[in-house]
Amino acid sequence: MNRALALQARRFGPVNWIGCWSLLRRQFKNGFSDLHFTILGPVIANALYLLLFVIASSSLTTLDPETIVTFIAPGLISFAIAERAFEVSGANLIFDKHERTHMDWVMAPLTPTEKAACFALSSTIGGMVVGSAVALMTLLFVPAEVAHPGALLFFAIATGMMHGLIGTLLGIWAAKWDQYTALHTFVLLPLAFLSGVFAPVASMPETAQTLIAFNPIFYLIDGFRYGATGEASADLRLSVGVAIAVNAGLFAWVHYWLRTGYRLKS
Amino acid sequence: MSLQRTFPQALAPRHYRTVNWVGLQTLYMKEVRRFMTVATQTILAPMVTTLLFLAVFVLALGHAVDRVAGEPYMAFLAPGLIMMAITQNAFANTSSSILISKIQGNIVDLLMPPLTPLERTIGLAGGGLTRGLVVGIATWIAMVPFVPVSLAHPGFILFHAVMASLLMSLVGVLAGVWAEKFDHMAAITNFIVTPAAFLSGTFYSAERLPPFWQGVAHANPLFYMIDGFRYGFIGHADGSLTAGVLVLVGANAFLLWLTYRLFATGYHLKA
Repeated sequence: MNRALALQARRFGPVNWIGCWSLLRRQFKNGFSDLHFTILGPVIANALYLLLFVIASSSLTTLDPETIVTFIAPGLISFAIAERAFEVSGANLIFDKHERTHMDWVMAPLTPTEKAACFALSSTIGGMVVGSAVALMTLLFVPAEVAHPGALLFFAIATGMMHGLIGTLLGIWAAKWDQYTALHTFVLLPLAFLSGVFAPVASMPETAQTLIAFNPIFYLIDGFRYGATGEASADLRLSVGVAIAVNAGLFAWVHYWLRTGYRLKS
Repeated sequence: MSLQRTFPQALAPRHYRTVNWVGLQTLYMKEVRRFMTVATQTILAPMVTTLLFLAVFVLALGHAVDRVAGEPYMAFLAPGLIMMAITQNAFANTSSSILISKIQGNIVDLLMPPLTPLERTIGLAGGGLTRGLVVGIATWIAMVPFVPVSLAHPGFILFHAVMASLLMSLVGVLAGVWAEKFDHMAAITNFIVTPAAFLSGTFYSAERLPPFWQGVAHANPLFYMIDGFRYGFIGHADGSLTAGVLVLVGANAFLLWLTYRLFATGYHLKA
């Protein structure tokens, strides 16, 4: 009697919570096994960037270093969230495909929505952990300041989720590490660097301003900075709109690829 | 019997004189092919990253900087960034080569062939040196359209590029020999190599620093590489050129000797 019960298919409601939880744990296990490295690395690198800007601006210009650091710090935090979020899903997926262990979750009784949500969520959390560590580090340079906690949290989550979804797409698409790192270095990194992380858009030449207006990362960083300092270059409603639209679009794209099994099921 | 008649040469040990040129060339070419096969990652990627650094600093500070050492900020920054790319890539080439070989277990391919410790040192460092110079040239070419580059003293450019690339290749060899895991290498890169490159006067003129940071800069060998290299382009140096040349020659000689000793004793390589 007992044995017969055990052999029956497990039932679950509309959402397979246990499955989701398992996939999340799997993502974390792979993405957080070397915490000291994944957290300390970005913290130190970003501390160096800030130190560099302080020294460079105070020795070369008459600008107030504090103004510059106050401007750059939120951008760097946002950037750290993005990089980590991207890596949690992207690197995991490539590694999985390389080792052919992706079948573990491709075959699991999870709907595409559940899978996509788990990838996005694990990336967001991973990004937020690193982002928080970098944020704590910036306190060495600038006083703590959170003008609009709600906006800060919203854009932090939107940034993590967007890069998690991009990482998922790249991870699914790329057949080799080469392709993955190439797209990261040649597409994502330039988009992030040239998005107003380091300089106010208003101070840039007009062509650059027009180009940046088409860069979704600009709106995420701008919104995040608004949450921290209370000042934004773009209309806040536009930034929120872009954040939601881009994330929804990317989620649908990931969902489509997971549903059709593109590059995952042969 | 027939075998012996067909391949009499192949079965005899190969003879060479003082230097095993074939072996040295093989090791050097292996090191060069290692990065050339993934040129997108090893040459193009550093080139793009360096251009991004240039763009970021010029966008963030350029409008507020009048002139540094009599030059527009971009012309001052460019040589420093090229040197940063050279050093980081020279270091990456040798360190990753040795560490990956150790982790994969094919380090015996380096240790068992009939190469003397000096030949090993030169073959490995030569690969790193080549990578540094190739990346330096690629980065320089990429910058030409944006930056007004002058060539005040080409000899200084060449000398400092070669010395810096060699120095960081040798540091990379030492790091690769010492490290046992990728974590160790990441630690060396994060805590030593990158900070040394960032705080070396790439982005600002050491002359205008407060005394403390000036002292930090002068204690840093990378400062002399960048300073002398930049002198080759813009004709202005922050520190003493003679001191720089002496530091670089001395450091390279010492590192060559140290690497030679490590290979001779088999430290961390032979159980």
